[in-house]
Amino acid sequence: MGRRHRAAAALALLLAAPAALAQDAIFADGFDNRPEGPFTRAEAQRFLTQATFGPTLAEIDRLLAMGYNAWLDEQFVATTSRQLPFLDQLIQADIAANRPIDVWQDKRQEIWWRNVLSGNDQLRQRVAYALSQILVVSDQNGALEGNPTTLAHWHDMLASGAFGSYRTLLENVTLHPSMGHYLSMFGNRKPDAALNIRPDENYAREITQLFSVGLVMLNADGTPVDGNPAQAGVQPVPTYNQDTIRGFAHVFTGWKYSTCIPPNTTSADPNNNLNWWNWEYCSSQAQSVSGDQDWRLHEGWRTPLRPWGEGNTVRGEVYYAHEGTKQLLNYPGVSLPNGVLPSSSGRTAGSRARHDLGLALDNVFNHPNVGPFIARQLIQRLVSSNPSPDYIGRVAAAFADDNGAAAGGTRGNLRAVVRAVLMDPEARNLAQVPANGGKLREPLLRVSALWRALDARSRDGRIREGWPEVYGAQAVLRSPTVFNFYLPTYALPGEIANAGLVSPEFQITTDTYITRLTNELGGKVYWAWIGNTGLDSWDPVQVDLSRDLALADQPAALLDRYNLLFLGGTMSAGMRSTLLAHLNDIAPNSWEGWRRERVQDALWLILTSPEYVVER
Amino acid sequence: MATDHRRDFIRRSLATLAGSAAFTALPAKLALAQNARPMLRGAGIDYRALVCIYLYGGNDCFNMIVPRDAGYAAYQATRTNLAVAQNALHALSPVQAPIGGGQFGMHPEMRGIADLFNAQRAAIVANVGPLVRPVNKTTYQQPGTLLPPQLFSHSDQSVVWQTPRADTTARTGWGGRLADIFFSSNANPTLSMNVSLAGENVFQAGQTVLPYFMSSSGVERIGMIETGAANCADGGQGWNRRRCLTFNALQNATYAHPFQRAYANRMRATRETTRMVDVALATVPRNDPVFQPFWTAFGLAWNATNPPELPDLGEQLLMIARVIRARDALQMSRQLFFAGIGGFDTHDNQLTDHGPLLRQISAGLKGFYDVLAQPSMALTNQVTAFTASEFGRTLSNNGDGTDHGWGGHHIVVGGSVIGGRIYGRMPNLSGNSQTNPDDAGWGQIIPTLSVDQYAATLATWFGLGATDRAAIFPNLQHMTGSMLSIPGPDLGFMQAV
Repeated sequence: MGRRHRAAAALALLLAAPAALAQDAIFADGFDNRPEGPFTRAEAQRFLTQATFGPTLAEIDRLLAMGYNAWLDEQFVATTSRQLPFLDQLIQADIAANRPIDVWQDKRQEIWWRNVLSGNDQLRQRVAYALSQILVVSDQNGALEGNPTTLAHWHDMLASGAFGSYRTLLENVTLHPSMGHYLSMFGNRKPDAALNIRPDENYAREITQLFSVGLVMLNADGTPVDGNPAQAGVQPVPTYNQDTIRGFAHVFTGWKYSTCIPPNTTSADPNNNLNWWNWEYCSSQAQSVSGDQDWRLHEGWRTPLRPWGEGNTVRGEVYYAHEGTKQLLNYPGVSLPNGVLPSSSGRTAGSRARHDLGLALDNVFNHPNVGPFIARQLIQRLVSSNPSPDYIGRVAAAFADDNGAAAGGTRGNLRAVVRAVLMDPEARNLAQVPANGGKLREPLLRVSALWRALDARSRDGRIREGWPEVYGAQAVLRSPTVFNFYLPTYALPGEIANAGLVSPEFQITTDTYITRLTNELGGKVYWAWIGNTGLDSWDPVQVDLSRDLALADQPAALLDRYNLLFLGGTMSAGMRSTLLAHLNDIAPNSWEGWRRERVQDALWLILTSPEYVVER
Repeated sequence: MATDHRRDFIRRSLATLAGSAAFTALPAKLALAQNARPMLRGAGIDYRALVCIYLYGGNDCFNMIVPRDAGYAAYQATRTNLAVAQNALHALSPVQAPIGGGQFGMHPEMRGIADLFNAQRAAIVANVGPLVRPVNKTTYQQPGTLLPPQLFSHSDQSVVWQTPRADTTARTGWGGRLADIFFSSNANPTLSMNVSLAGENVFQAGQTVLPYFMSSSGVERIGMIETGAANCADGGQGWNRRRCLTFNALQNATYAHPFQRAYANRMRATRETTRMVDVALATVPRNDPVFQPFWTAFGLAWNATNPPELPDLGEQLLMIARVIRARDALQMSRQLFFAGIGGFDTHDNQLTDHGPLLRQISAGLKGFYDVLAQPSMALTNQVTAFTASEFGRTLSNNGDGTDHGWGGHHIVVGGSVIGGRIYGRMPNLSGNSQTNPDDAGWGQIIPTLSVDQYAATLATWFGLGATDRAAIFPNLQHMTGSMLSIPGPDLGFMQAV
């Protein structure tokens, strides 16, 4: 089909659409200038489901007018909606008013909601949310639960790095004080035989297992390498062994807050004047700040960790950072011979720890697994639980080289990776989506989609939604463990597991949470609507029903609108006729709230329907 | 701070407001399935339950059970600043010394378990871990030796512990496969034999049986449609009935996508089961004095109107005790429960963080046992609780914590446990990884009993016959020979009810 023909077909679709649709339609010029689409509002809706926190009528029309590429280009450079300034502002206001600082993790959730509901950097926030489920830190941790600002800073780092280099992101993640505390790399020290102490392996294990290469060698399309084709079945090849973990554990030694007082440089006696307590009890408060500053404002919690003794050419980092040789990842094409990091003892004191870290992160980043490993998970978060190997391979190729087929580009450019995820034929062309394609919608995305579609807001503009895990079993940066809310490999036992499929989101779709989320969506539809006097002084986020109340006396048109907004026009004929009969059964003027009942029932029944909760 | 906010939220949650209808209609009788297979002798008389207490993160059992004789010196030399004080240990007085001898004590926060052990109502199973074949230090280091995949990884070892199929990537748990066999023993075809208080887990996932998930605060119904009786047959509330019928119609439609079917199936099963459990739980309220031993065990004051909240694992075990107490109403004669707490991944701050977790295990299990021992329950012989955790931790120390290990000790509690004994051999605690014969090389202890043996012993007590046992635990046949401290399919710590 030529471009003009496709455009004509799209036009015909629009013209054939029911009255309500046609009223909202925008016929933009320039169909010829955006051969990539979308060609229909349904296609635009589907893309926005994957790339934002929920389609709106306005955004559907804007995307239809712009085309995918222009929209992506706009989003790639959109200014980051940040979290930390909001929290700092609240803290300063409390300080100025001389009242206790009431800034906890619920306020961090508030600014996350605000940004994902109304930020103009929708794609950036959506990718940051995906990254936050791969590179996991959580406020369910003793060191972090009382510290919302460091986690806000962490999230801002993910958001601002969402379209940057994965190598840069890995380094920022490694050196972030939140991660330092979450996986105990902070204050990790070199071996001490006398005390039977050896380096902590926590971060070493998870950066390899979860953040980069995974446990087994992968082909370029994400399938496991078969170590012995002669034997039946796939014999997986481990990516590393305990020696590798020990090697990385030794790399991640000697790091502390940037604000620590470094070791004394003047004494000739190496054991004197060491001031070890400056290591052990170093403060996260900047030395330049006088008095006792609230910990939520501490410089050390919002700047990268630093080797203790860096730049000290006399003492260096030798007391806590290991400088001997370390076994790192060994793989075809590895640049360090056999994956062994040579001793850095020949380098200038005070420059060794960072040097070793840089080479170690290069060693991780250049492993051939990283592309397919990260590609699969980004696809799972944005598009589909079970991408085909070809799809993973295409995205992994974009990871390997952002120039595509032409060599000479850059490795690990997330902008190219995200574009490849979203613009892949398997993502864009519904006809090419496998029968088992798509995914179960995440609970938070079900809530955000409702709120964006219905322009939800509170009276005072605040968002009191600090504990969504109570109903959704998830909240941003609040996973129970480093393994996220669900494993990428989780397969619901029964038909799904037997078919060899995975279904991560089903891991939190337990009896408890399927009920709670269904109830919560009911509350958000039937109670929290603008104008409900029953709310009294309570001021939650409320959906605005006014636009759709105008369609309440035209149930078919109302359903068409919701079919577009929530289902991208895919509502089955059976579901439509069931809902239509239901709405017509609510007789006009049967009670004063009949219009609202029609709108609310349509919303809630769609939002809880199997056709909606599984997006394709 | 944060916790208070959370409570506020729960109290004021939208769902609570919207779903505040009264549930008055009780099913007159829980329906029997037409095709129900022959029951066992009847719920209440012939009852058996296993309760798995999963310790997420890998419990440092080497600080949980500590030598209190001359062996303490080696322990202290290895653990240095992480060592538990010798004089704070609760002495264990076994009726029979462990293989290899030695005297041991429980962690200072585990008074309850020590008391149960000394009363012969609890046993310790020493140095259990995933194995494909028995190994020792020599064979472990030889290429080609069959080993569990991805040793020392949380996610993988957690799965292997629960399957326990260290030779495959199977994802059905031994509890699930047990339920596949025993489910038809229960007269009630709707409620799963497997009930989880701690969410999704591998242990309870079978080929046909999926667990029922509830929370320690009970069950909730869907407020917008379930104000009345089952099947939308509420009395006169037309608006609600209409919505309920449409909801059902959408859930019950035929769907092409397996995810849609799975979602609709879970929604349907949840609603059927929740209604039933809700009704049954109302007959065994949380403030029933029979449950008072939980508060005693945790050192909290009980009151009849609104007993204070127990620590997490305590509330989970309390809910399990309530479900067990309601077994007649629920028509259950065989049940597998799953409870779990996290926080055991003590890479740092171990001395501060570990004690309170052990206290939850100890007080929780002590309270649970004492409730089962109440005259109106009298179920100590019918219920057995056991711990599981993906690995023990390294003997060696990373400064203020320990890393991922392999073998570890576990606790079994109940009247059918041949208690007051340590089964198997306690490992060598020397900190010299090169010379310690039990050390895999980096402080990780090579198991001398397999999870297969541990699980099969429990399953056999539950009623599993030899033929089915071989099918559920196919690696059991390899668990023989002198590299194991106890060879064979049954470790001998359980006796028939």
